[in-house]
Amino acid sequence: MEKDFTEKDFTEKDFTEKDFIKKGSIEKDSIEKDYILKIEGISKSFPGVKALDQVSFGVERGTIHALVGENGAGKSTLIKVLSGIYHAESGEILLDGKRCNFTQPSDARAAGISVVHQEIKLAEPLSVAENMFLGNLPVKNGLVNWKEMRVKAQNIIDELGIDIDVNQAVNTLTIAKKQIVEIMHAINFGSKIMIMDEPSATLTEHELKVLFRIVKKLRDKGITIIYISHRLEEVFELTTTTTVLRDGCHIATLPTASLTKEQLISLMVGRELGNEFPKECYPIGETILEVRNLTRKKVLRDISFSVNKGEVFGISGLVGAGRTELVRAILGIDPYDSGKIFYKNKEVSFKSFHEAIHNGFGLIPEDRKLQGLVQMMDVKTNICLANLDKVLHGGIIRSALEKKYAEEYVKKLSISTPSIHTEVQYLSGGNQQKVVIAKWLLRDSEILILDEPTRGIDVGAKTEIYRLINRMVKAGKTIIIISSEMPEIIGMCDRVMIMHEGRKTGELMRSDATQERIMAACV
Amino acid sequence: MVESVAKSGFKKVARLMMKEYMVVIGILLMSVIFTLSSPYFFTWDNWKNILLQSSTVAIVALGQAIILLTGNFDLSLGRNVCLASCVGALLMKGQVITNVAWNPWLAAIAMISLAAFVGLCNGLLTAYVGLPAFIATLGTQYICFGIAKLITSATPIPQLPDAIGFLGRGYIGAIPVCVIIMICLYALAQFLSIKTRVGRNLYAVGGSREAAFFTGIKVKKYYLITFVIAGALAGIGGLVLMSRLNSVSLSNGQNYEFDAVIGSIIGGISLAGGKGKLIGTMLGVIFLVTLFNGMSQIGIDPFVQDVLKGFVLVIAITIDVLTNKKRT
Repeated sequence: MEKDFTEKDFTEKDFTEKDFIKKGSIEKDSIEKDYILKIEGISKSFPGVKALDQVSFGVERGTIHALVGENGAGKSTLIKVLSGIYHAESGEILLDGKRCNFTQPSDARAAGISVVHQEIKLAEPLSVAENMFLGNLPVKNGLVNWKEMRVKAQNIIDELGIDIDVNQAVNTLTIAKKQIVEIMHAINFGSKIMIMDEPSATLTEHELKVLFRIVKKLRDKGITIIYISHRLEEVFELTTTTTVLRDGCHIATLPTASLTKEQLISLMVGRELGNEFPKECYPIGETILEVRNLTRKKVLRDISFSVNKGEVFGISGLVGAGRTELVRAILGIDPYDSGKIFYKNKEVSFKSFHEAIHNGFGLIPEDRKLQGLVQMMDVKTNICLANLDKVLHGGIIRSALEKKYAEEYVKKLSISTPSIHTEVQYLSGGNQQKVVIAKWLLRDSEILILDEPTRGIDVGAKTEIYRLINRMVKAGKTIIIISSEMPEIIGMCDRVMIMHEGRKTGELMRSDATQERIMAACV
Repeated sequence: MVESVAKSGFKKVARLMMKEYMVVIGILLMSVIFTLSSPYFFTWDNWKNILLQSSTVAIVALGQAIILLTGNFDLSLGRNVCLASCVGALLMKGQVITNVAWNPWLAAIAMISLAAFVGLCNGLLTAYVGLPAFIATLGTQYICFGIAKLITSATPIPQLPDAIGFLGRGYIGAIPVCVIIMICLYALAQFLSIKTRVGRNLYAVGGSREAAFFTGIKVKKYYLITFVIAGALAGIGGLVLMSRLNSVSLSNGQNYEFDAVIGSIIGGISLAGGKGKLIGTMLGVIFLVTLFNGMSQIGIDPFVQDVLKGFVLVIAITIDVLTNKKRT
C-alpha cells in the first residue's frame, strides 16, 4: 500500500522533472544570454563522496540567481570552489568570458567574486567603518586616512539607506546589522558577483525586509548576486533564475517565475528510494521518553514529543533547526529554561551527560572523528571505553575480557579492520561509525540517539548501518535518529518530528511521511 | 602455531624497543661514549650519583607526565617543591605556625598536603574556571615562590631532623632509598595507568577531550585529579630532596618543571596528550641526568651545557610534533 504510494509519487515527479529540463534547454538554445559567470563541468570529490559532479550553468549579469538544494547537495562545495577555497578537479570557471584559476580566496576576491558567509567573519571590536574597509584601508602618506574612510563609509550607508553609525563598534550591533556590514565590506572590494550563503537564516521578519531591500539595491547597481537560501519564499520573492543542485549534480537552471513551490521542492528532493533502506517493523511498546514544553532561550521553543519503546523516531529539519540542541538539552549536556522530561514514567532532569548515560541513554554524536572516537586509540580500547565495568575485575582491566568483547563486536558488526589493535584513525568512515555503534551496543543502552549516523559514509556502509538499527530495534531498544537526509528519515523511521528554527513544525507517521510533506514543514 | 606466537612476540618486543624504549638505547649509547672518554664515568659511585640526582627530578616529573597525558601543563611544579620544602623544614624546626618543632613525619604529611593543595588550586583554575593551564600555573608559581621567600626570609635552612634523613641518604642493601622510592612510584603509576579505569580514562581525556566527554567521562574531574596528584608528587619530591641535601634553600626544585617536561618528551610522552608510557618519563629523566653528568665528566663548560639543554628540548619537541603530525 505504502510502496504503491511512493512509486506513483515518483513517476509523477519524473515526468515533471523531464518536462522542466526540456523547457529549460529550449530557452537556453533560443536566446543568447549575457552571462557574467559560466561554470562548466566542475567536479570535486572528497574521500568517499563525489561532492560536485560535472556541474555546469550560467549566471546572467545583473540578476539575482538562486542556488537551492538539500543539505549535502553540493551548494557549499560549489561556493568554496567559486571563492577559491577549494580547487576543482576538472571544469572551468569563466568570469566575463575569461578563464579563472583561483588558487586561494584572495584570487577570487581580486577577480570580483566575494562571499557573504553564513557565519559572520568580522573584526568584532573595530568600528563599522574599519570593518567595511578591512584589507582595503584608504591610505594617505603611509597612514590610515580616517576622515576619508568615514566619509566613504557614510556614503555607502546613505546609498543603501540604512541606519548604522560608522563609528560604532561592530560587537554592539545586532546580527542583522553585522550581516549588512559584511555586505558593505564586499561592496567595497568592487565585487562584481556577490555570493550570499543563507544570509537570512538568523534574521527576523523585519530584518529580512531590510535585507531584501539591500539585495535589490545591489542588483540595481549592477552587481550580480548568487543567493543561497533554504527559505523558498525568498527565492520566489527575490530571484529571477533558480539553479537546483542535488547529490552534487546540476538538476536544472530555470526562470524562477516558471516554477511553483511544489515543483521546486520536487526538483530538490526527487530521487528514488531503492532497497537502500532495509526497514523492518517490530511491535512498538508504550511511551519510554516524553518531553513536554522544553524551552531554551533562543534555541528551543516549547517542544513536546514522546517516543515509544522499540520505535525508530526521526528528527528532521535543516541544519540549524535546533535538532542537536534538543538532544543535548535532554541529555544534560546543555541546560534548559523550562519544560519537563519523563523517562520510563518518572520525571528526570539530567545534570550531566554522565548521568544520562548511566540511566540508559547512548549518543552517537554528529562529529564521528572528533566526538565519537579517540582516534589514537585502537579498536579494542574504543569499544570498551564506555564499558569499563564489563572488563574490570577487582578494579583491574582484564585484557582477555577486553579482547573477547572487542572480537565479538568486530565480528557481529562485521567491522573491517586489520585487527582489534589497529588505531581507529586508520579505518574508513563507515567502519569508524560501526566502532562507535559497537561501543554503545556493548553498553546495552535503552535509548540510542544517532546524530547524522550516515554522514559522509558511502552507500554500502550506510545500508549496513541501517541493518544494525533494525537489529537494535529487534532487541527492544529505542532509536532516535537525527538526520538531514530525508530519504534516510523516510526509509528508516516509524515516526518523524520536523523542526524549524527551534520549533516543532510537524509530526508525521511513517505512512504519511513524504519528502514533499517534510520539506514543506522544514522551510 | 607456537612458532608464530613466539615470532609475533619477538616482533612486538622489537617494536616496543623502537618506540617506547628508544630512550634506553640512547642511554646505553651515551654511556659507551662517556665511558670511552672518562675513566670515572663507568663506576658504581658515578652511577649511584646519576640515579640519586635523577630520583628527585623523576618523582616530580611523574606528576608532570600525568598532566601531560591529559594535554595540560604545570609550570608551578618546581616552585611548589620549593614552597613545600620550606614549609616542611620550618615546621620540623618549629619556626612557623607553632614554636614547637613538629614531629618530622607529621610535618612531612603537612608539606605533601600543602603541595597537593597548590595542585588543587591549579586544577580548579584550569578545569573549572577555564583558565589556560599555562597562565594559571604561571600565577601559582609566583605565589609559591613569593610565599617561600617570605617565610624563610630567603635564607637557607640547614640541619634537618635525622628521622627523615633516611629517605634521601639511607640505603637498603646497596641501593639508595630515594631510588627505591622513585622506582616504586613509577611502577605503581605505570600499573595504575594501564590497568585501571582512572588510567584508561586519563588516556581517553588526553586523546580526545570531546570523545571522552561523549563517552560519559567527567573530563573536568580528570583534569582536576591530575593536578592534585602532580602537586602531591611535588611534595614527595620536595621531601626526598630536602632529606638528600639535608637542607632547604630557595633553589630547591628550581627548573624541575622544565626538566620534567624534557624528560617526559624524551621518554615518549606527547605534548598533545593521550600518548606515551609513564615509565618512559623516568628513563627520559635518567637520560637527561646521564647526559649532563657525562658532559661534566669530560669537562664541558656548564654554560655550554645549558645551551645544549635548550637544544635537547627543542629537538625532543620537534620529534614529538612531527610524529604526531604524521598520525593525524
